[in-house]
Amino acid sequence: MDYRVSKNAEAPDTTVVYLSGRMTFADHETFRGVIAAFDGPAGQRMIFDLSELAFIDSSGLGMFIIARDTAQKRGLEFSIRAARDEVKRLITVAKFHRMFDITD
Amino acid sequence: MPVSASHSLYGLDPGIPLHGQRVLIVDDNTFNRRTLTRFLTWAGIRRVDAVTETDEIMAALETVNPDMVVIDCDMAGLDGIALCRRLRDDRRWRDLPVVMQTGLPSDQFRAVCFQAGATDIIGKPVNPGECIARVRYHLERRQLIHELRGFRERVERELMQARDMQLALVPETAHVAAVGERHAMWIDAAFRSSDEIGGDFWSLFELDGERLAVFVADFSGHGITAAINAFRLHTLLLRLAPTDMADPAALLTLLNQRLKEILPVGQFATAFYGIIDRATGLLTYSAAGAPNPILGTGGGFRPLDASGFLLGAFYEAAFENHVVPFSRGESLFLYSDGLSEAQDMFGCMMGEDGLLNLVADAARRNHARPLPCLLDTVASRYGDRLHDDLTAVWITRR
Repeated sequence: MDYRVSKNAEAPDTTVVYLSGRMTFADHETFRGVIAAFDGPAGQRMIFDLSELAFIDSSGLGMFIIARDTAQKRGLEFSIRAARDEVKRLITVAKFHRMFDITD
Repeated sequence: MPVSASHSLYGLDPGIPLHGQRVLIVDDNTFNRRTLTRFLTWAGIRRVDAVTETDEIMAALETVNPDMVVIDCDMAGLDGIALCRRLRDDRRWRDLPVVMQTGLPSDQFRAVCFQAGATDIIGKPVNPGECIARVRYHLERRQLIHELRGFRERVERELMQARDMQLALVPETAHVAAVGERHAMWIDAAFRSSDEIGGDFWSLFELDGERLAVFVADFSGHGITAAINAFRLHTLLLRLAPTDMADPAALLTLLNQRLKEILPVGQFATAFYGIIDRATGLLTYSAAGAPNPILGTGGGFRPLDASGFLLGAFYEAAFENHVVPFSRGESLFLYSDGLSEAQDMFGCMMGEDGLLNLVADAARRNHARPLPCLLDTVASRYGDRLHDDLTAVWITRR
């Protein structure tokens, strides 16, 4: 998995993290870097953009749960957007839309 | 000539102790041997042996079993390059540091030495500082590799033991066959642990003479953590009363709460729990984000919806029951994502659709008991080296 953190000057209260490639058990270390981006003041919006993510396994779902937990503890808003194909199927099977803020 | 431990050349830090290491010198020149032995002693090495005849070299290697050999290529009758190759061809000495000594080595000679497998080359006359630094570098590296290898071997042994314990958690073949006989079903199961060991678990429960329950779970992640979680789940299930086992959704709700209390954030299990009731001809099941089981009827094969909250991930998760007819002659195939997420040599994933095709194909070849046939096809197309645990349970009502 690769990721890039994007902060837009027009929306200073929003951070978008673009995840790409395959998100699996092997990415735990990489994901620490993603979590490090959850450092804004309370009320900040964190968005995971999954439009470039091709595959996720159950360890990857676990990382989303960790991200959600981190956001809650720091008073940040956390949402997931643009999941597609296999990734969309898996987060649907896990009923994530009932626990996460998910948009297409 | 013993030296005090505090002695060090040029007042430099002597580095990690090498007291236990042995060095074998191959050299017929008395002066050279003495000089080299002195330097090695300064380097902190206490056990130096020497060979002065070429035909004694192999025997000395056996008896001394050194951690390093220093060969003088200028020794009469010795082909240092050939000796080096010979050592490298022998499994026992393949990793042994071999240091070659020669007067004014040309670049070509050095290249040939290294190609023959020499670890390092020291030109003569030997400088003590350089000699000590090079010898220490190779011995320290060897010691670290030994320690790492020892640690790795220990971890591998532990993983093997954990895997054996995990295999002992799931029902034995004879037990599965006996349960099948009692409930008029063909039941075939495969349970394989990957090299890394994972968190797969499955079990059968005979609720009474008419109702047979099957539980399949897969913990997130790999390694010892996932295996320990499988044990935790097994323990939780053993402590439950028979009444807890009678309602799939209620059971998953209960397990979810218990697991949420003990699992760190981000760890969970996907799970399926189903009860086959022969009196009513129904399968009642509840699921927690598991791979979709495949139901085989007269109309072919179709996936059952096994979506649901991941077990042990959220306190507020609620689970629901699904009921489908399960008559005689019909079959239920349960599996872990280790099967459906298998990749072929081109990196192409099997996926649910691919699995449906394989299942239908296997059932055409062996209607009642297609599992062995299915797994053969999977092994031929996806290889038998798994990246994840694999659980596969095929149940056919007779």
